[in-house]
Amino acid sequence: MTNEVVRPLSVESQPNPALQEWWERATYVLLPLLALGVFLGAWQLLSAAGKTGQIPGPVQVITDTLPLIVDPFFDRGANDKGLGWQLLSSLQRVALGYTLAAVVGVSVGILIGTVKPLRIAVDPIVQVLRTVPPLAWLPIALAALNQAEPGAIFVIFITAVWPIILNTAVGVMQTPQDYRNVASVLKLSRATYFFSILLPSAASYIFTGLRIAVGLAWLAIVAAEMLTGGVGIGFFIWDSYNSSRMSDIILAVVYVGLVGFALDRLVYYLGKVLVVSE
Amino acid sequence: MAFLEIQNAGKIFTTGTGVYEALRGVNLQIAEGEFVSLIGHSGCGKSTVLNMVAGLGLATSGRILLEGKPITGPGPDRMVAFQNHSLLPWLTVRQNIALAVNAVHDQLSESERTALVEEHIALVQLQAAADKKPQQISGGMRQRVGLARALATRPKVLLLDEPFGALDALTRGRLQEQLLKIWEAHRITVVMVTHDVEEALLLSDRIVMMSNGPAAKVADTMTVELPRPRERLVVINNPNYYRQRNELLYYLSQAKKQTATKTVPVVKAGSGLEKAALTLGFVPLSDCAPLVIAQEKGFFIKHGLTVTLSREPSWKAILAGVLEDRLDGAQMVAGMPLAEAFKRESVPLISAMTLSRNGNAITLSRRFWEEGVRTRADFKRYLTEDRSGKRHTLGIVHPTSMHNLLLRHWLAGGGIDPDRDVNLVVIPPPQMVANLQAGNIDGYCVGEPWNTRAVQEGIGFVPVTDLDLWPGHPEKVLGLKESWAARYPQTQLALVKALVEACLFCEDRANRAEVSRLIGAKAYVNSEYTAQGLSGSYDYGFGRTAQLPDFNVFFAPTNRTEQLWVLTQMARWELLPFPPHWREVLDRVYREDVFQQACTELGHKLPAASYQPLVLPDGSRLDPADPLTFMQTASAVA
Repeated sequence: MTNEVVRPLSVESQPNPALQEWWERATYVLLPLLALGVFLGAWQLLSAAGKTGQIPGPVQVITDTLPLIVDPFFDRGANDKGLGWQLLSSLQRVALGYTLAAVVGVSVGILIGTVKPLRIAVDPIVQVLRTVPPLAWLPIALAALNQAEPGAIFVIFITAVWPIILNTAVGVMQTPQDYRNVASVLKLSRATYFFSILLPSAASYIFTGLRIAVGLAWLAIVAAEMLTGGVGIGFFIWDSYNSSRMSDIILAVVYVGLVGFALDRLVYYLGKVLVVSE
Repeated sequence: MAFLEIQNAGKIFTTGTGVYEALRGVNLQIAEGEFVSLIGHSGCGKSTVLNMVAGLGLATSGRILLEGKPITGPGPDRMVAFQNHSLLPWLTVRQNIALAVNAVHDQLSESERTALVEEHIALVQLQAAADKKPQQISGGMRQRVGLARALATRPKVLLLDEPFGALDALTRGRLQEQLLKIWEAHRITVVMVTHDVEEALLLSDRIVMMSNGPAAKVADTMTVELPRPRERLVVINNPNYYRQRNELLYYLSQAKKQTATKTVPVVKAGSGLEKAALTLGFVPLSDCAPLVIAQEKGFFIKHGLTVTLSREPSWKAILAGVLEDRLDGAQMVAGMPLAEAFKRESVPLISAMTLSRNGNAITLSRRFWEEGVRTRADFKRYLTEDRSGKRHTLGIVHPTSMHNLLLRHWLAGGGIDPDRDVNLVVIPPPQMVANLQAGNIDGYCVGEPWNTRAVQEGIGFVPVTDLDLWPGHPEKVLGLKESWAARYPQTQLALVKALVEACLFCEDRANRAEVSRLIGAKAYVNSEYTAQGLSGSYDYGFGRTAQLPDFNVFFAPTNRTEQLWVLTQMARWELLPFPPHWREVLDRVYREDVFQQACTELGHKLPAASYQPLVLPDGSRLDPADPLTFMQTASAVA
């Protein structure tokens, strides 16, 4: 090989461009797989050496949870459902709370982004409340709503709404003066201005807020469900812990991570399709 | 009443750090269907004017009327094509235009509006790109969409804010021609902001030059003298094109210098003067008297100045000394600060006051006398009949001096072409006599005592003094750097006061004997002939003498047309181009304010200097209302 490299003029030594590109791409798959293998291998070795306490090694986890992996949608009554059901039920709550947060967040964001006195008035409240951790809201939600289900949805809503409000407000404020000038010279109606200029112009900011919010919402649901019980991936983890099924917990954690990643990507691609910028 | 009228409009911006006055007293009248361009440097407020017309930023004083109605806010009757096209990136080309059409023409039917949109897409030839988003088309195409959108609203006034500023030269040229065609077909009223002189000339009926901010205003307007319909290739071959282009470029370069020299005065020393020790340059001549007298009679000291007088070998050395800051100021020939303003990369100079008037004469070699030459007519005949084939050479002290201009005036008035019939060379005053004696030159025009010396030594004679050409002409001025004057305003006032007192002393005929004794000293002129002229008696040579009490004048009120005469002559002899805004140029170079203040504070209140018609002994009359006619007739004589 080295001999060929020092003879760059020889035709045979020229690397095939298509092959080179394929290899370039393959590294993006192979290297992460390699890292995963190293991680699992080290985990397996540590667990075989008895250094991981109660936590089983990867082989043990797969062996233990094989029924759960193979059939995610079994239903053996209210307290024993497949992981697919658990995830779907959690996603449903997130969808509800997150949609609520998106609607309220974008509306409030546009309002405080346009009306300066309102922005000045509301800003300190938003800044303080947005730092409150999701679980701290739960007792308040339960006390106010007296029910576990709406309580959990409220926690998702209250966690996700802040980044949407803040980013939308910034997006509205950042509407380029050029576009505002066009609107004022043309004397556009308020509705036309809103839908033709303000909203599209702020869209990229709004989607940034939505993307941050979806991660937070998923974060909140797992925590909320641990406390409220019922069906849901969060409660599944808690329940498995109480029954000392470590392998189930590990599988659920992997699923939570994968779903969270998928949600983030989903909003990202949605934004990419919907937002047009210069 | 004009279609669009800007009346005394001003604009003050309040920023976090304070108040900035961008515009003050802007007046402009634009007729319906006129294409007007605003040019000026960045920050001159031309875009602010445009925004005020658009209603995007209202005037803080004065008002703007469209068809007699004041402008109170933005509206589609004054549509703007923005500098950065300002298309909405989420709408296609067609949608962008439709947004404007739908907003403005809501009284039209759906199909009429669609037709309007399509018509304007076709107007800028963008049918192929109609369904593309702005970021999918080139910069030039985007600018065309912006133009189409603006035109589609059918505005009363179209406002163009550097519409092609961001484009490459080729695209820019194409779009200019396209705009030209569209405009010539539709003739709507256009106000365009640009910094491209050629663009302005190609497109406009009238070009408005804005002065530099802060407090910018309309400095001048120029009517473009190019016939319509215009085409670039035809336009650039029109002689008016280059003349007007040069006038505009000259204006811009002058305006730039003005910005560069804005300096904050330095903190004053204990004496109340920013600078008390000065070095001033002079050339050994009788008319350096004011400087010598101010020194010898203590007028500099009296006004708090410690002055070193530096004797300079030539006018060239004087100019270099001032430009290099070796000299704080100097006696200069009258045209020197003016000519400096026209040089490329020049440092602006000012004339703070006129130090002397008259004092020059023309000397011709003794050989001409022996050939029977007594007058100009004789000289002309001699030159015509001379078969030797030799071109006779005459000396002048500097191209920008009155000696050059007056000698040329004298020669041309007698039908002698100063550039073809004789040869003019620059020789420093003290070396004139030696060069005449050596036969290097055949005559010269210079101040005293250098004519007298030739006469006294019998090597030449004086056919004419400047009293016969233009009695009372400005001769020497106090030349300073504009930046120096701005840095040391109190020092300048003290200097001018001391020199005004010295001029008054010299002007008093009773003091003339003392003056000629003092300036004749070794340190100054170093000549025994200084009494000639100063005393009032004059020897023309070969027995002809006269009493000329006004041969040297040191104090007189100014007629500003004198300076205009200097400018017309320098332009006539192609030392510089005659600028269209000559008043501004002269006002900037020849300052009167400090001189007037000094005279007032010394108790010699003078009438304010103004432009009065100027009549010379040869009958030529310079009317400040029409210098161009004067220049043309003067050239015809030559």
